[in-house]
Amino acid sequence: MSRKENKGKDGMKRRDFLKVLGVVGGTAAVAGSCSEPVEQIIPYVIPPENVIPGVPKFYTTTCRECSSGCGLLVKNREGRAIKVEGNPESPINMGKTCAVGQASLQGLYNPDRVRSPLVHNPETQRLEAIGWKRGEEILAEKLNSLGSGKIVYLSNDISGTYSKFVAEFLKPLGGEHYVYETFSHEPIRKANEIVFGRDEIPSYRIDKADYLLSFGADYLETWLSTVSNSIGHSKLRDIDHGKTGQIVHIEPRSGMTASNADTWIAAKPGTEQYLALGIANVMISKGLNKVAAGPVAKMVSGYTPEKVATLTEVSADTIEKIARDFTASKSLAIGGGTANTGSNATETMVAVNILNYLAGNIGKTVDFSDPLSISGANTFGDMKKLVEEMRSGKVEILIVHDVNPVFTLPGELKVAEALEKVPFIVSLSAFLDETSEKAHLVLPESTNFESWGDYSPKKSVTGIVQPVMRPVFNTKSAGDTLISVSKNVGALKNTFAEKKYYDYLRSAWKKRAAIIAPATGFEKFWENLVVKGLVTTAPAPVEVALSPKISSVSFSDPKFSGEGSFHLIAYPSYRFLDGRGANKPWLQELPDALTTSVWDSWLEINPAVAEKMGLEDGSYVKVDTPGGSFEVQVFVYEGIRPDTVAIPLGQGHTSYGRYAKGRGVNPFALLPAATDVLSGGLSLLSTKASVSSLRKRDLLVRTQYTKSQGDRPVTKTVALDQLGHNGAHHGSEHAKHPDFYPEKEYSKYRWGMAIDLNKCTGCGACVTACSAENNIPFVGKKQIAKRREMNWIRIERFFEKNSDGSLDVRFLPMLCQQCGNAPCEPVCPVFATYHNHEGLNGMIYNRCVGTRYCANNCTYKVRRFNWYTYKFPEPLNWQLNPDVTVRSKGIMEKCTFCVQRISYGKDLAKDEGRLLRDREVLTACEQACPSDAIVFGNLLDEKSRASVLSEDERGYKVLEVVNTKPAITYLKKVKQERV
Amino acid sequence: MNQTQQRPLTYARVTEDVVRMVDKPSAKWWALFLPTVALVGLGVTCFFYQVAEGLGVAGYRHPVFWGVYITDFVFWVGIAHSGTLISAILYLFRARFRMSIYRIAEAMTVFAVLTAGLFPIIHLGRPWNFLWLIPYPNSRELWINFKSPLVWDVFAVGTYLTVSSVFFVVGMIPDIAAIRDKVKETPRKIIYSILSFGWKGSNREWLHYTRAYLYFAALATPLVLSVHSVVSWDFAMGNVPGWHTTIFPPYFVAGAIFSGLAMVITLTIPIRKIFHLEDYITLDNYDGMAKLIILTSCIVGYAYAAEFFMAWYSGSPYEWGQFVYRATGEYAFFYWTMVICNCVVPIAFWWEKVRKNIKALFVISILINIGMWFERFNIIVISLSRDFEPGAWGIYKISFVEAGITIGSFAWFFMFFLLFVKTLPAVSIAEMKEILPVPKKGG
Repeated sequence: MSRKENKGKDGMKRRDFLKVLGVVGGTAAVAGSCSEPVEQIIPYVIPPENVIPGVPKFYTTTCRECSSGCGLLVKNREGRAIKVEGNPESPINMGKTCAVGQASLQGLYNPDRVRSPLVHNPETQRLEAIGWKRGEEILAEKLNSLGSGKIVYLSNDISGTYSKFVAEFLKPLGGEHYVYETFSHEPIRKANEIVFGRDEIPSYRIDKADYLLSFGADYLETWLSTVSNSIGHSKLRDIDHGKTGQIVHIEPRSGMTASNADTWIAAKPGTEQYLALGIANVMISKGLNKVAAGPVAKMVSGYTPEKVATLTEVSADTIEKIARDFTASKSLAIGGGTANTGSNATETMVAVNILNYLAGNIGKTVDFSDPLSISGANTFGDMKKLVEEMRSGKVEILIVHDVNPVFTLPGELKVAEALEKVPFIVSLSAFLDETSEKAHLVLPESTNFESWGDYSPKKSVTGIVQPVMRPVFNTKSAGDTLISVSKNVGALKNTFAEKKYYDYLRSAWKKRAAIIAPATGFEKFWENLVVKGLVTTAPAPVEVALSPKISSVSFSDPKFSGEGSFHLIAYPSYRFLDGRGANKPWLQELPDALTTSVWDSWLEINPAVAEKMGLEDGSYVKVDTPGGSFEVQVFVYEGIRPDTVAIPLGQGHTSYGRYAKGRGVNPFALLPAATDVLSGGLSLLSTKASVSSLRKRDLLVRTQYTKSQGDRPVTKTVALDQLGHNGAHHGSEHAKHPDFYPEKEYSKYRWGMAIDLNKCTGCGACVTACSAENNIPFVGKKQIAKRREMNWIRIERFFEKNSDGSLDVRFLPMLCQQCGNAPCEPVCPVFATYHNHEGLNGMIYNRCVGTRYCANNCTYKVRRFNWYTYKFPEPLNWQLNPDVTVRSKGIMEKCTFCVQRISYGKDLAKDEGRLLRDREVLTACEQACPSDAIVFGNLLDEKSRASVLSEDERGYKVLEVVNTKPAITYLKKVKQERV
Repeated sequence: MNQTQQRPLTYARVTEDVVRMVDKPSAKWWALFLPTVALVGLGVTCFFYQVAEGLGVAGYRHPVFWGVYITDFVFWVGIAHSGTLISAILYLFRARFRMSIYRIAEAMTVFAVLTAGLFPIIHLGRPWNFLWLIPYPNSRELWINFKSPLVWDVFAVGTYLTVSSVFFVVGMIPDIAAIRDKVKETPRKIIYSILSFGWKGSNREWLHYTRAYLYFAALATPLVLSVHSVVSWDFAMGNVPGWHTTIFPPYFVAGAIFSGLAMVITLTIPIRKIFHLEDYITLDNYDGMAKLIILTSCIVGYAYAAEFFMAWYSGSPYEWGQFVYRATGEYAFFYWTMVICNCVVPIAFWWEKVRKNIKALFVISILINIGMWFERFNIIVISLSRDFEPGAWGIYKISFVEAGITIGSFAWFFMFFLLFVKTLPAVSIAEMKEILPVPKKGG
């Protein structure tokens, strides 16, 4: 195919089209050219139109790493996607991203992706490469000769057009479509059905609440839409006239979410429902309820605070206080997380719903008019049934698409064995995971960065998925594969009129466009859609009333299997989710917020228990459950109840590529197929385990070994009531000290930053964003054991004590402070690091000889040294940012406030003969930060947001005593009266 | 050879003895020399492995960016110091006990500086670019940062190497001339002729020579104090708690002399035994050195105490935290080894019996060397392991490459030293003769 041909066919049309797009800032998206992939990338013998080397293009798409469906802008340079940013137009993530989203390009460029179709060779027992033509023929043959068994299409949540497409594909074949999400939050749906008669998950508007009561919902980690939740969390944390929101989190373990709450209440595992009922009881008995209690009054009448106190081990005073606070402000109660997946999970959620109902939150902070699409997933019960059908040989053809049930379904179901009974398994997945490995045929799909599609995370939002570059490998989008196969299958001959899934998608949208925007022509509508990346509709408000079904609920104690003395909490990791993130080295190397552990699994255990058992950080223990046992290293953690141990999910892969395989343990494998009684959802908190010491110890590889900051005032807090007294608190930190030397003078810019510790949740999005922007290599577990991680920004985590002795977890993003009086600068013998005229502490890589004195002298220890020349295995290196030097061994490196972005922005400003405007240049960490804790800007501009925040009364500089004059001001974490 | 010992020292015997030392190497010498060459080979192999792979093969880790190599550097620079002290300062003070050992001390200085000078280069991330630290005019118009103590280091070590080498070479001229006159074989004769710069021993030559030697001594004397002060600024100019202190220059100079004297004792005792120099290097000489060791040990001990006191008195949690950590943290073994070797063991020298007991001297001098190596290790590594930022604290572990290069550096030093004792006059003929009674005519 030559470019000429392409041009002749639709040249004019495309040019006009691009003219339109060019207007839309730097965020223009190209539709036509991506459906017909650009033929030549580099070198440009004949330069393509509209590609200026050095000038990036941004394409909108939708993130498919989890079911949140955040809008993305993917930065494309010279034909390669190099960075993911949030799409500011998306109401879900408003331009923000999480660490998983930031690392998603490592899925696209993963060296362990399936590179071409594979077929199982029965002789060698191996998957062997074949061509697409042959691969599709094999599938067509199988579909043509489909016997009495059934065909099942098993995928993750693919709401939107593709789900309809699959239905059309399966209908003539009599197949079934299973939508499988490991964490499908069935108890929430079931409880909503019971209480409100709505079998769906509403939008929980944390952003509209002032008082958030979370029953185990890890809303900053994996619960529903985390970026969206983080944005809400950040809003709640705003301080306005000495007032701020309050968060109370109830869970046996203080995870990242609980650690960001004002109060963490470690109720007895599985008793959250009683606590909720007790609070409801107080509301009604004190007349605090805003809505008539109706049948609820009778349900909660028995749960007096005193009785609940004995059941939950939470004091009656606390219960009363929560009830009062909860009804005194705009509140929201949410529930979920592992802690609420016990046998009584739905009952707990019913109790939570009762709280929201009594406080009058329905329609305010609980929005049923805009339910989430994950509501449509199949339940765990359905999955159990499917596995049984497979085992009994009823399933003849299984098409697996982007799900990994062998890994994520509980070990008791023995999915791998059941799959053996399926005569023909086709995998459309891009990776050879534990499930795809068992396939007879692999027709690898192009990832969502290489194919067309759409996704509707919730009713009001549908995002477009568009290719941001041509496929990296010899892959096809699943839709294209199925259409192409259907042409050779008798039953499907006439199912699809279109040749490509892209055309199918467009015709589907044509129908939608006629409803949504009848006035605009479809082409115009489509352009707008692709440029904006999504379409939003205003959902009609719904009336929600109590369902009579509610009276049928009785509350019971949770059931546990096993005899051990510990409740085993297997919780989803915010880095790997159900394990799908484990093949991305950036996620493996992103330190866990609490343990700072990398590349491994660990077991959290209470210090009192650890002492009794003679365990320390890194001690090996054997965890025995009825479903089996595993060996794992221990992390001694104050934030967990003594009767509970916790282990993250997502590690322990036996395949799924070099970065995932053989790391840590997979707790799914020994979980029983226990369910929540009412909803049939998978119960993760169902096992009691016994823990025995193996009497050996090794380093538990982490990036921070210090637990408390001790007498070093690195992180600081301030009591809420100390704020607002005409800035009285302000003076204590902003005092000017006399200096021997004159102050440095800057003419146009002095770059600085303000970081709000009250908002920072420790999620690590900034860390991964920084890696992606600045070509920071991953170094692997062995090197991190030697503390040689390369991240320019790290989240410091300190376990401190509140005034009442309770655990206070603090996070502090530490990056180069761009000191005004930088200790690293004078000691460099060759001026490789120097102070520039904009206050940046510059780093000249090719001048560096590697004395490392700068790093020794750095008060903040933010400099990183290249101990080796680190490699990005092909094609991970395609992701490298061409604006940033790739460093080799022997060189020092560090954060420069994304100087390449500043330079790029200044060039644009210079063309217009002006200075950079505030917020025109964002650093990568700031742009990603879902809680908006990082603000970068020009400190010479008094009106810039960074300047204003730097003068905030909560502002302080870390280790100011060294007189480094940092450009980063941290805003103290606010402490308020605790429950 | 008891006979030799009984024979009185005369001018003739001194020349004879020294010339005998530079005779054909014995099997014993080869047995010592060949292993040193092999170990140098080990060090070189480790170094090239490190260059090829990257500094990752060394034990460095965040936040300890300096480790064994800089420890070795400071250690060897320290060793170098007593050489000049003995040859220059004690010369100016007319301390007679230096006569027999100053040549060995000078040689030790030159070889120790040669060894020390390697380490900053070994330590560099990109050692092939080490010359960027030297201010030379270049087309890229790049210049060096004179604010950086590392640049001062380049000058200090460079100057010291130059001056001590010149001092060493000039000091040997009359002695080499004496050997030249004794040796018969042609190649050696030519070499010694060149090195003796045509010395004839005329009065005029002696007049100029002694003047020149005095001036060199005067020129070298400030270097004894300045070079190690500059080395100490590598640390004192940094802001790391445990480094950033004004006490460092005198503390380092005293420590350098302390370790240097110990090294002189360690080196001379075997030489004295092997070459039967008991009449030259007398117990009184050792007594003098041991007394100097007592003095410097006290200064070093005082410095340790003063560091602790200042850390406490400053009220800075960073300083105090650092010193408490040194004594009680993961590196406590290293710290207490240092204290025992450098402050407790030398107390034995308060007794004259010990000062004049060769075995005791040998053992104690080696312990002091160990203690002083640990001192530098403690200052560098422990301080870096725990500075301001608790989130970044971490522990350093030495790697086999670092151990290999360190062992190689000792071998490198001893290799030169063995070559020296076999080829050059290890005891000053001319100065020994100065303290001998003038022989009667014909006798």
